Amino acid sequence: MDSQYKIIHPVKYLQDHLAQDVRPDGRQFLSFRSISVNISSITHADSSAIFKIGNTTIVCGIKAELAAPKAESPEYGYIVPNIELPPLCSPKFRPGPPSDQAQVVVKLIENILRNSAAIDLKDLCVFKGKLVWVLYCDLMCINYDGSIIDACIGALTATLNTLTLPETLYNIETGSVSVNYTKRLKFPIKALPVSVSFAIFNDQLLIADPTDDEESLCLGRLTIVMNEDKICCIHKPGGIPISQDLFLRSLTKCKKRAELIRSLIDAAVSTIKQEHLNE
Amino acid sequence: MDTSEETSQSEYILRPMNCELNQLSMPDGSAMLMQGNTAVIAGIYGPVEAKPQKMIYDKASIEVSYSPIKGPTKVDDRMTEMYIKETCEAAIIVTFHPASAICINVQELEDSGGMLGCTINAACLALINAGIPMKFTFAAVNCMIQEDNEDIILDPDSIQLQEAKAEFTFAFDSMDKNVICCYTTGCFTETEFLKAMDRCKQASQYVFDFYRNLVKKYANVI
Repeated sequence: MDSQYKIIHPVKYLQDHLAQDVRPDGRQFLSFRSISVNISSITHADSSAIFKIGNTTIVCGIKAELAAPKAESPEYGYIVPNIELPPLCSPKFRPGPPSDQAQVVVKLIENILRNSAAIDLKDLCVFKGKLVWVLYCDLMCINYDGSIIDACIGALTATLNTLTLPETLYNIETGSVSVNYTKRLKFPIKALPVSVSFAIFNDQLLIADPTDDEESLCLGRLTIVMNEDKICCIHKPGGIPISQDLFLRSLTKCKKRAELIRSLIDAAVSTIKQEHLNE
Repeated sequence: MDTSEETSQSEYILRPMNCELNQLSMPDGSAMLMQGNTAVIAGIYGPVEAKPQKMIYDKASIEVSYSPIKGPTKVDDRMTEMYIKETCEAAIIVTFHPASAICINVQELEDSGGMLGCTINAACLALINAGIPMKFTFAAVNCMIQEDNEDIILDPDSIQLQEAKAEFTFAFDSMDKNVICCYTTGCFTETEFLKAMDRCKQASQYVFDFYRNLVKKYANVI
């Protein structure tokens, strides 16, 4: 009966739940879904991670390639994020060129990486003006169930945290490049941004970590990205107007959640280090 | 005493705004807005019949297209489109026009800082001009935090923006002055954010007054 009601009357189904102070999946308004992180699952990528928030699953792989830098920024490398939202992950998406949503998510991820200063692009320089690393960060959504930005940022930071680049030497006289694949150096990460999403319903009702159903029926969405102590992105594209009080509540909630996610990623990264030591 | 009052007054003052409504003859509503040297032109068609694949049976679908001054629409512009779309969607009473579409077209004319804010304001003026029923009007205000002395500068131009540590764009509704949309770049603390939001909220009144005076000037028949 419950599932039929949900299909026939999705809006009322959700509202009835919210009126009872509970969400359709049994969570409290401000409680989050469980997260799981798996690191270095793809052996052919330079580094990789699988990040899950509830059902939402993102796979991230980074491939590093050598290229010539731009003339106007001779000592900066590039980082090229890309997200794929295939029809596999949700019936909302159709095969074909990237949807508007995918483009917005990519742009947002790019902004977050730049604003949080997690990566110093100078670290990607091999030889000034001649050779730099390009990091292709490919994000693939396997299962789309809301809070996609949180999962993407989680997967990306976990991947960047385990990234190692082979030692590369550039000979200025002959212009030859020698890459030593056996000796890999850890790529330095300056910050660990964590993103937390909220959905807003009538009467300034704030819901944390919305699922896809909640996200598609909500009146407004809010994403906050935090570094250790600073905010590096507050993204609210529109929707229902919200008060300052709601911002404060979401910020305090975000701080707590960010600590948890950070410790989880750190724990996952440290297991990798342990394995290396044991070898 | 007088001077301090003057500065506190001018703190809320934005760059000079100029607007011309009905600049275009074909759209149902249009507005050309200049904020300082940043200029855009917005035109609205609607409510018109929606394309079958974009039709929503119980409300109007809002389509936004933003064209930059040079080159084709890029990934960056999709973000601007999304902000305009969702902000307008919040204000327009979409259930009044089921299964129809409201097309908002914005053309950039010159960018000298605060582009997103200017496009949102132009879209609002064009919506007023087109006579689309709205729950409230909205006004966007841009501000930045300076790199060295951490001062908040309202509505900075592109030269001032080069020294920005963080940049914010807020859109407020005309009723309770709550935040409809919020776009940030750079790193900042919670107090800086709240301070910036407060300053922009106060400055938004200036934009709403501007709307009112403008509509009074054009709608003299009523």
